[in-house]
Amino acid sequence: MTTTKTILRSDELSCPTCVDNIESNLNNTEGVSAAKVHFNTGRIEVEHDPETVSDEKLVKVIAQSGYEARVSQF
Amino acid sequence: MLLRNATTRKKELLIVSGLLITTGWVVDFFWTSAWSFNALMLLATLTAGFEIARRAWQGLRNRHTNIELLVTIAATGGLAIGVYWEAAAVTFLFLLGGWLEARTMSKTRDTLRELINMAPDTAIIVEDGDRTEIPARQVKEGMQVLVKPGSKIPVDGIVESGATSIDESAITGEPIPAEKQTGSEVYAGTINKNGRIYVRATKSGADTTLAKIIRRVEEAQEEKAPTQRFIERFASWYTPGIVGLSIASYLFTWNLELALTLLVIGCPGALVISTPISVITGIGNAAKKGILIKGGEYLENAGKVTAIALDKTGTLTAGKPSVTEIIHFSKATALAGVDPEEEFQKVHTVSLSDQNTKSLPSEGEELLYWAAVAESVSEHPLAEAILTEEQSSRIPEPDQFESHTGQGIEAVLGDDHIFVGKTEFLKQKGISISEGINKEIQNLTKKGRTVVLVAHNNKLLGAIGIADQMRPDALKMISRLRENGIERIAMLTGDAQPTAEAIAEKAGITEVHAGILPEDKNDIILEMQQQGHQVAMIGDGINDAPALASADIGIAMGAAGTDVAIETADIALMSDELMNIPEALRLSSKTMSNIRQNVVIALVTVAALLTGVFTGSIHMAGGMLVHELSVMAVILNGMRLRWI
Repeated sequence: MTTTKTILRSDELSCPTCVDNIESNLNNTEGVSAAKVHFNTGRIEVEHDPETVSDEKLVKVIAQSGYEARVSQF
Repeated sequence: MLLRNATTRKKELLIVSGLLITTGWVVDFFWTSAWSFNALMLLATLTAGFEIARRAWQGLRNRHTNIELLVTIAATGGLAIGVYWEAAAVTFLFLLGGWLEARTMSKTRDTLRELINMAPDTAIIVEDGDRTEIPARQVKEGMQVLVKPGSKIPVDGIVESGATSIDESAITGEPIPAEKQTGSEVYAGTINKNGRIYVRATKSGADTTLAKIIRRVEEAQEEKAPTQRFIERFASWYTPGIVGLSIASYLFTWNLELALTLLVIGCPGALVISTPISVITGIGNAAKKGILIKGGEYLENAGKVTAIALDKTGTLTAGKPSVTEIIHFSKATALAGVDPEEEFQKVHTVSLSDQNTKSLPSEGEELLYWAAVAESVSEHPLAEAILTEEQSSRIPEPDQFESHTGQGIEAVLGDDHIFVGKTEFLKQKGISISEGINKEIQNLTKKGRTVVLVAHNNKLLGAIGIADQMRPDALKMISRLRENGIERIAMLTGDAQPTAEAIAEKAGITEVHAGILPEDKNDIILEMQQQGHQVAMIGDGINDAPALASADIGIAMGAAGTDVAIETADIALMSDELMNIPEALRLSSKTMSNIRQNVVIALVTVAALLTGVFTGSIHMAGGMLVHELSVMAVILNGMRLRWI
């Protein structure tokens, strides 16, 4: 399994408790090996296997947690 | 899913629930129908509560209890005991607060977004005369990139042809455009104002200086300040504590409404957000001015600085030596029948600051020419100053060249034999140095110049005064620092005493430590700290690394283009703008007091809410309102830092 790191950004994080929510939703997704949500900047780092989980799927998982996010180049 | 987009869904639910609540009050006012009032409030609670309960459920599925769960329990309990209006107000206010917070928080993240958007997505590359547009990230090192006037530069690189002026404010914060020509370095994200240039790419995508700045700023914003860590520890037991209190008070008083009201104020929202909001905004605002602060902790330290140690070379001065005077002998009048020996003793000093090279007498030109020939193969920093001054393009390289480190150099070109170096060196070589010129040399040395003598075919031609000149803003900066309450300002330099003192006097610095080694710089900083000072060390980021590290705050100047400085300095100033030093300290202390205000707002709110709840003057709706207001107050107060 080859993992890549994808950076997503969300402008919607408003209470630090949502960090745990998004992180565990991502971590429970198959193909995601690590997820870190930075509350202060709204940056979401995901290490995942692009074969199993696409970038679009990541966006969808975050949307299911209730937040809008998009993929960023750095 | 009802509505796919989370934000839109939240907004629509808010509008619907808000309308239901208003209708309920209108109906109650005109018809006083308790039944329809309660029915409308129930609907409003369910509408807004749907979103909250969904999040609570999501949290539970991931084995997390969250604030949404507490609010859901409170609202459900409220419905159960029949306080419909309270339940509706709690859910509506919670959703509204969350929506407003998200909107304002995204505003505070704007500064960074502006920086990210500075980098264009595509680049025009030129290969064998063909132009193709490719994603900027995919530009490889060595590719030639065309940048048209008015467009942004997509990569870091070196100008290969063309000349232009470039707005580098994204990197340096400097509003005045910089002139660029062949050989100049350019950065991704800067704006090409008026000329067409071809750039040889050196870095692209995540490796560019801009990307590094963005990463740096983000890491800084994410790093928790000590205050934030303390608050988060407090917050982590606050919520369970409130829940426990709620259960305990129910068991003691059997007052369900009191217990539910406690749950409503169980979110430490204003507390947890108080520090991060100020840190994000303060660091973001500083970044926009070309000041990179490494994180909240450094912000706190920088706000408390009472003493400053400054490096001289490259900080107070430009770091590039230039020729300031030329001492030469006059021989023109010697031809007019006066005793040549005597006239030869006549010494002239030409100051280059008020006279340019063009009007330099031929004797001076000759001296500069021979010095340049000898220095043309030398790598000594002073050589560069001499070669810059001697603008003739045909400087032949010497046939033989020997460098005596710290003394001088000798060079042979055909029949010409040249010595350039210190007085002692030329004496050793058997050159006689007259009293007249010796006096002039000593004068210049006292003024802080480095003086090199030039001899051609065993005859002294004269001398060249070289100095690293002070930056124009140095005096203004030092006095601003003193105004801002810095008690002790010391200059540390490896340079000789006279040179150091000349600069210190001009800059208004009284404490000078000259001729010291890098370890000594360290000792001086430790001594300042032992006296109880909070010390900031300011240097160019490379030579001063140990001193920068042992100071409470290490500030590196001119960091654009030097990765080491961006990575290691506590505060990196992207440009050479000296006034950014007091500005960085000012922003830090402003941010610090903003944090303190926010913590006070948050703590006072918590205390007031608890008192209000137990004295019975605050119920569910009021509790939620005060709570949300305090969160907004903290966010808006933090946002003030954008404009200071």
